[in-house]
Amino acid sequence: MAAIDTVSAPDRMTEKRFAARRTARIRRTAALFLLPAALLLALLVAYPLANVIYKSFNAASLVDPTRVGFIGLDNYRTILEDENFLPTLWNTFVWTALSVAGEYALGLASAVALAQPIKGRAFFRGVILIPWIIPIAIAGLNWIWLLNPDYGLINSWLVKSGLMQQPHDWLGAINTALLSVTFVNIWRSFPFYTISLLAALQAVPADLHEAAALDGAGPIRRFWVITLPHLKAVSLTLIFIHIVWTAINFDFIWVMTAGGPLNASETVPVMIYKYAMQDYDVGAASALAAMATGFVATVFFVHRYALARRKDS
Amino acid sequence: MVETPRTRTLRAVLTYAALVAFSVYCIFPFAWMVDTALKPTAEIMSKDPTFWISSPTLANFAAVLVDSPFLVYFSNSLIVATASTIVTLIVSIFAGYVLSSWGRLPLAQIVGGAMVISQTIPGVLLLVPLYTLMQKLGLLSTYSALILVYCTFMIPLVTFMLKGFFDGIPHELEEAAEIDGCSTLGYIWRILLPLSAPGILATCVFAFIAAWNEFMFGYVLMNDDTRRTLTPGIMIFKGTHQTDWGHLTAASVLAVVPVAIAFVYLQKFLVEGLTAGAVKG
Repeated sequence: MAAIDTVSAPDRMTEKRFAARRTARIRRTAALFLLPAALLLALLVAYPLANVIYKSFNAASLVDPTRVGFIGLDNYRTILEDENFLPTLWNTFVWTALSVAGEYALGLASAVALAQPIKGRAFFRGVILIPWIIPIAIAGLNWIWLLNPDYGLINSWLVKSGLMQQPHDWLGAINTALLSVTFVNIWRSFPFYTISLLAALQAVPADLHEAAALDGAGPIRRFWVITLPHLKAVSLTLIFIHIVWTAINFDFIWVMTAGGPLNASETVPVMIYKYAMQDYDVGAASALAAMATGFVATVFFVHRYALARRKDS
Repeated sequence: MVETPRTRTLRAVLTYAALVAFSVYCIFPFAWMVDTALKPTAEIMSKDPTFWISSPTLANFAAVLVDSPFLVYFSNSLIVATASTIVTLIVSIFAGYVLSSWGRLPLAQIVGGAMVISQTIPGVLLLVPLYTLMQKLGLLSTYSALILVYCTFMIPLVTFMLKGFFDGIPHELEEAAEIDGCSTLGYIWRILLPLSAPGILATCVFAFIAAWNEFMFGYVLMNDDTRRTLTPGIMIFKGTHQTDWGHLTAASVLAVVPVAIAFVYLQKFLVEGLTAGAVKG
């Protein structure tokens, strides 16, 4: 301390200048280090996003370079007047709601089972994670094989066990195509819930359970009043993220049914793809993507709001 | 806990029953895939399918490896996934270091915020502009197109995962290194990276699996058969009229092997990293 007191005025000046130079150097280094990430985000996220919104008000085609120019809301009108639009919205809703509900139920059940004092937790957790690490394209193709009406294992089981009279073409029939893909999507996605909910369950203090048990609360009551409230924050985030991830998932439906038969399993991402890559109508595809972006932004806004309200209360 | 031995036994039985049921549910499609791959065609096309194989064969694997473009797709996926992992890692190490050490700088906060927002934008909504952009840049059907896209979509998550590991390293180490005359690069290379090596390895595996498994951009951006990656490539085994399920399942098994090995090896890290990085409650 004494040494600092005896520092002369000019020395303090150089010290200050040194500190300022250090700050400037840190700023430069930071800018340099962040530059690659910022450039990639600007080129491949920010620019395309602006481009989607711009193109949604313009005529644009993948094959006809002469189709350009501002056309106002015509692209949006194309989408809204498409007779497939409302059924597609409904399909997207059914697919998302059933998927997320099923995934949450299975994820919670498996997480609660894994959180019990059991032997071989790592083994069971590893096995339950298997569907989640297999690429969607490969999982989808192999489920087509399992659901095959002629030689498929599932139909054979259902007929042999007497649950069904004869095999059913699950993916090829209008009334079961979307539900079948939803079933497969639940199979593939629920392990993510398991892992997240398990981590939250293991963070619940054990003495809370012990105290409640001493007060005479049974396991079911303890689950409702202790476990579930502790899972609220994680559940909220899980569900909101998956509403978005599921609603915009292209892979499963494209691989398994390509939106068919007769658009019976077509959802918004498949419709975007078909407008762009099959009709080459970039404008209409952009209008649909812009509307979907609005939906995604709304979901995230509601999620933030819900989280903020939870923190306040 | 106050529980009679009887209810405790009942609870254990129920728990194990549930876990076995979940395990069967998760594993039987995978088991059926391996099973079909090992069957001769006559047994695959059976009206009464069973897990029992009368005459197991490797013919499906041989056919896939020799008579199909499988190995081309496989090496394309390997190139794209490896390159994207390396580029993602390099870019994210620097970004993660800045966010961890100098997170209060306005610039760091802007880029960090942009990363959070970009994580919420689904790739499919940017599919069309990314396609036209790659078309304009002349990058369609090149490795660079996929590598660029995969990097951009992985950098935010990987950066935050790495920032988490870097945050765990005491700040005093950096000050000591600076006093001893160590440059920032020297500090990152000699101290930060070795100390967070296990976390970085796990992050690498995560990025690699994500790139290996990706389907949509590979399907749309790569139209040249010699550049096609594995996940879209495997769809050719599902013929338009008739599918050779033996070939398809054999190709599936081979495609899953690298992912499965990586996963078994680093399961614990992945589980922790995912819960810490992806879902912050």
